Amino acid sequence: MTLTMTASGQTRARYPDEDGYVERDGVAVFWERYGEGEPTLLLLPAWSIVHSRQWKAQIPYLARHYRVVTFDGRGNGRSDRPSTAEAYDDAEYLADALAVLEATGTERAVLIGLSRGGRWAVELAAARPERVLGAVLIDPGIAHVAPPHPWWTHPFDEEFDTDEGWAKFNRHYWLRNYRGFLQFFAEEVFCEPHSTKQIEDLVGWGLETTAETLVLTQLGAQPASTGEMEGILRRVRCPVLVIHGDDDRLRPLAIGAAVAELTGGALVSIQGGGHCPQARHPVKVNLLIRQFVESLRGRAR
Amino acid sequence: MTAVRAPSETRTAAEQTRARYPDAEGYVERDGARLFWERYGEGDPTVFLLPTWSIVHSRFWKAQIPYLARHYRVVTFDGRGNGRSDRPGRWQAYTEREFAADALAVMDATATERAALVSLSCGALWSTLMAAEHPDRVAGLVYIAPAVALAPPHPERAVHSFLEPLGTDEGWARYNQHYWLRDYRGFLEFFFSRCLTEPHSTKQHEDCVGWALEMTPETLVATEQGLLLCELASFQRQCRRVHCPTLVIHGSEDAIRPHAQGAALAAATRGRLVTLAGSGHLPQARDPVKVNLLIREFIESIAGRAR
Repeated sequence: MTLTMTASGQTRARYPDEDGYVERDGVAVFWERYGEGEPTLLLLPAWSIVHSRQWKAQIPYLARHYRVVTFDGRGNGRSDRPSTAEAYDDAEYLADALAVLEATGTERAVLIGLSRGGRWAVELAAARPERVLGAVLIDPGIAHVAPPHPWWTHPFDEEFDTDEGWAKFNRHYWLRNYRGFLQFFAEEVFCEPHSTKQIEDLVGWGLETTAETLVLTQLGAQPASTGEMEGILRRVRCPVLVIHGDDDRLRPLAIGAAVAELTGGALVSIQGGGHCPQARHPVKVNLLIRQFVESLRGRAR
Repeated sequence: MTAVRAPSETRTAAEQTRARYPDAEGYVERDGARLFWERYGEGDPTVFLLPTWSIVHSRFWKAQIPYLARHYRVVTFDGRGNGRSDRPGRWQAYTEREFAADALAVMDATATERAALVSLSCGALWSTLMAAEHPDRVAGLVYIAPAVALAPPHPERAVHSFLEPLGTDEGWARYNQHYWLRDYRGFLEFFFSRCLTEPHSTKQHEDCVGWALEMTPETLVATEQGLLLCELASFQRQCRRVHCPTLVIHGSEDAIRPHAQGAALAAATRGRLVTLAGSGHLPQARDPVKVNLLIREFIESIAGRAR
């Protein structure tokens, strides 16, 4: 007897128990629900350079213990790609998150946010505290609370005479060589050794949207000053856990530390971790999330 | 001549953390050589993860042990020549018969009456010998990427002599004892790049090279010379004496040992062949979930349990 098994193709360790679309102002947003436990964890989108598969190393584990809801941020995945910059304001992502909570019948949830999803998590926790049990912020993409990396200084809109390094973080370069930007960006995100698969995944997800859409996501409104951002962080009342790689090339660890301090939360730094520890250090991150969620229940483990 | 080193000197790098640590471990001495074994879990039956070529040691099962030990009693040991086992200097100490005798000594030391044997690559030589000569101790055989001469080797491997000095270091000319002694690291990088042909294998490659660096090229030469003695006719005789259930798992893209060798072994032992499409020579490392589930399914079938 012989049998051939295919090793290729992206199968999932776990498939959703339910999925659907919620439409708001003509923009359809695709969501998934896994598992049945308590409480519900809402795994927020990050920048629309990726979509909800960014959580693929969290979903199978967390869904064994909790009810897990996630959705593709507008601009990528199975969600729509609106064609105006205003459609990518922070406020739109927050409204999408609330619409997904409604659509899935979720009264309250623990928010898990990566990068700019971490910013949306604190914005949501500050604005709608009754819906948020707690927030886990992974390498939060929060500006104005600590100095950025010195290389994070090239104006996004200007034309440069160089494409070297972080000069690639530029709308003109994206429109000229989107693939080149994705490859560069992915290698900066995943600075840890043995990240070839995660780099390939990120580039692949990036190619599911377009340079034009990604430019729009970069132009949407977000907190614009230290005063505004700190005000939001100080309004957060729920428990907060910040997980931050100490080798994050995008958002320095000092940001995570400042966010933890301003929200009264805890900070766990991942030694040698880059910007997406949920992908490169999934066991550590999953156990930290679990421990945080259990602590919310006041349950000893 | 390689001296026998004390176990404490044989770990060159700080070991990585493990997903699971052994519940018991120890040494058994046989014919002057000390062998380091580990036992995990308590279930039934015992799954015995055998050593392969001593270029690596028992950590090559690291993606199997935590899963299998949740269901079964798992025993493994470092093959002579690497890990925490001794490194005899003479090539005569590295024949398949010596490995089989070591494995039986570990079964005795761990009070393992009978076990399902899981082997990788040339571990097939000793697992087959054990099943042929000690059928009462062997409940079944899982062969992963078996290195058996029942079908021709890859043509590019058949060109160069292992023993004679060669005029080139290109490609498989590196599979040569003189080259090993001259540029061991160069050989390891080449060899494991051929073992791990799948994309995204950088960690497995680094692991394998690191394990190989825990032994010396002199010892590796001795192991290879010992294995060269294995005769096809006697192996075929042993295959005919295998009467337990067998399962062969072989990658379609194995660049070390052709898939045809696994297919021939399945036929020779009247067992089942599972082909892993796209896999190379180390599917236990690169496709561990598939391999683990196949091992589990096989163990459940021989234990007469429906799943």
